Amino acid sequence: MIKAVPKPLEEVLDLVKDFTKVLIVGCDGCVTVCEAGGSKEAKVLASALRLYFTQAGKQAQIDETSLTRQCEKEYLAQLSDKMDAYDAVVSLACGCGVQYMAEMYNNKIIYPGVDTCFLGVNEERGLYAERCQACGRCILAETGGVCPIARCSKRMLNGPCGGSDQGKCEISKDVPCGWELIYERLKTLGQLDRFEKPVDPKDWTTSRDGGPRTIVREDLRI
Amino acid sequence: MPLQEKLTSGEFVILAEMEPPKGTDVSSMVASATGVKRMVDAFVVPEMNNAVMRLSSLGGALLLQTKGLETVMQVCCRDRNRLALQGDLLAAQALGIPNVMAVAGDEITHGDHHQAKAVNDLNLLELLAAIQTLKTGRDLAGVDLKGAPQFLVGATVKVTGDAGALKQELADLDKKIAAGARFFTTQPVFDVEVLEKFRRQVGKRPAAIIPTVMLLKSVGMARYINTHMEMKIPEAFVTRIQKSSDRVRECVQIAAEFVAAVKKQGFPGVLVSTIGWEDKLPSILAAAGL
Repeated sequence: MIKAVPKPLEEVLDLVKDFTKVLIVGCDGCVTVCEAGGSKEAKVLASALRLYFTQAGKQAQIDETSLTRQCEKEYLAQLSDKMDAYDAVVSLACGCGVQYMAEMYNNKIIYPGVDTCFLGVNEERGLYAERCQACGRCILAETGGVCPIARCSKRMLNGPCGGSDQGKCEISKDVPCGWELIYERLKTLGQLDRFEKPVDPKDWTTSRDGGPRTIVREDLRI
Repeated sequence: MPLQEKLTSGEFVILAEMEPPKGTDVSSMVASATGVKRMVDAFVVPEMNNAVMRLSSLGGALLLQTKGLETVMQVCCRDRNRLALQGDLLAAQALGIPNVMAVAGDEITHGDHHQAKAVNDLNLLELLAAIQTLKTGRDLAGVDLKGAPQFLVGATVKVTGDAGALKQELADLDKKIAAGARFFTTQPVFDVEVLEKFRRQVGKRPAAIIPTVMLLKSVGMARYINTHMEMKIPEAFVTRIQKSSDRVRECVQIAAEFVAAVKKQGFPGVLVSTIGWEDKLPSILAAAGL
């Protein structure tokens, strides 16, 4: 899932301090799971903003709501009756949700309330780790289910760089060497021969390097 | 006279584009450049134009400098991060390359290595600012340099006849000037009226605008440009080449007329792009009265 962290309160305050009617919109999707931008976080942020305006002696209306997902028009449309009542909106969705809301409500000021970080997993509550960089051409079948693009600091595709020490990456002793993980997993699976096969330089056109990406699934289109 | 001095003196400057080879045989490039040495003030060495992999601008410029030719090296945002860009700039100064031009670089998808990963760590304005920072004797991490570069710095500007685009281009031009660029080459231009209008709009900004005149080599080339590229070649030029009994001479004549027009309009110089036909450069300049 997409992982995000709440923006520092000071940053959000700086964005909205000159408005008097602000709506905070949480998203019940990915950012709820990582506890960065769901309905609970929307309530917490709205309370903090109300407290700030009260302490600053300013009259302000701060409301909060949450949508099932902000990356779909049908859910964003649920805001259409409310939008006119606010000067600015803080979306707690990932960058996709913020942008889609801005596209749909072109004349409204929409600010992001979270920093979108990566596609990752919940290792523990409050501990999220990157697993995928959405490069558009999955090679996990060849690498024992461990992605060298997401998990090797140098994104090396043909084995380790030689800088690791006792299975840890040279950038930090807290970061496992991606290629150590790949090697160990291939060994467990009895597929170490895959480790021996050199791969060609990667085609990055399916990643962000080919420009903004679109998926067209003709079989799904109505 | 060095390019910087000549631009300051107000004399008309002649730049020639000299594309490095795709390969290690530099004999043709060196021969082409040395053949027109006396007519050209400096050679602009592109950094992989159109994202087509070639010998680098740093390498090409150094080669020509060692032959006693002044060069303008291009530094390109597309292929290098801030470490590599700064490292190449320091190398260029240490190796005697006096002029650099910051370019954004064409999209990788337009070139011949379309599967490559683009870098774009710094954008054009950030790169210009980085060059200025190096010139002050520090790098982008704020660390003191042992010896600072002293380049004449240039960039590109786009000539346009569209009012909205022109306004944006002039705003960008001001930002580039503020970031230290002192000369600007344009994309190849084929419309003297648009060019004249552009010159008037630029006015007295402290920047030498140097239009690019590209030598058309055939009707096919003109048609290709008109079909695939943003710049457009007026049909009158295409017809002239088509009807001429000596098409090569007509192509040279058209380029010469354009060079003459650029000078007459009061631009400080011209960049002639002959794309492999460098042997035609003397004829172009002679026919232009230079």
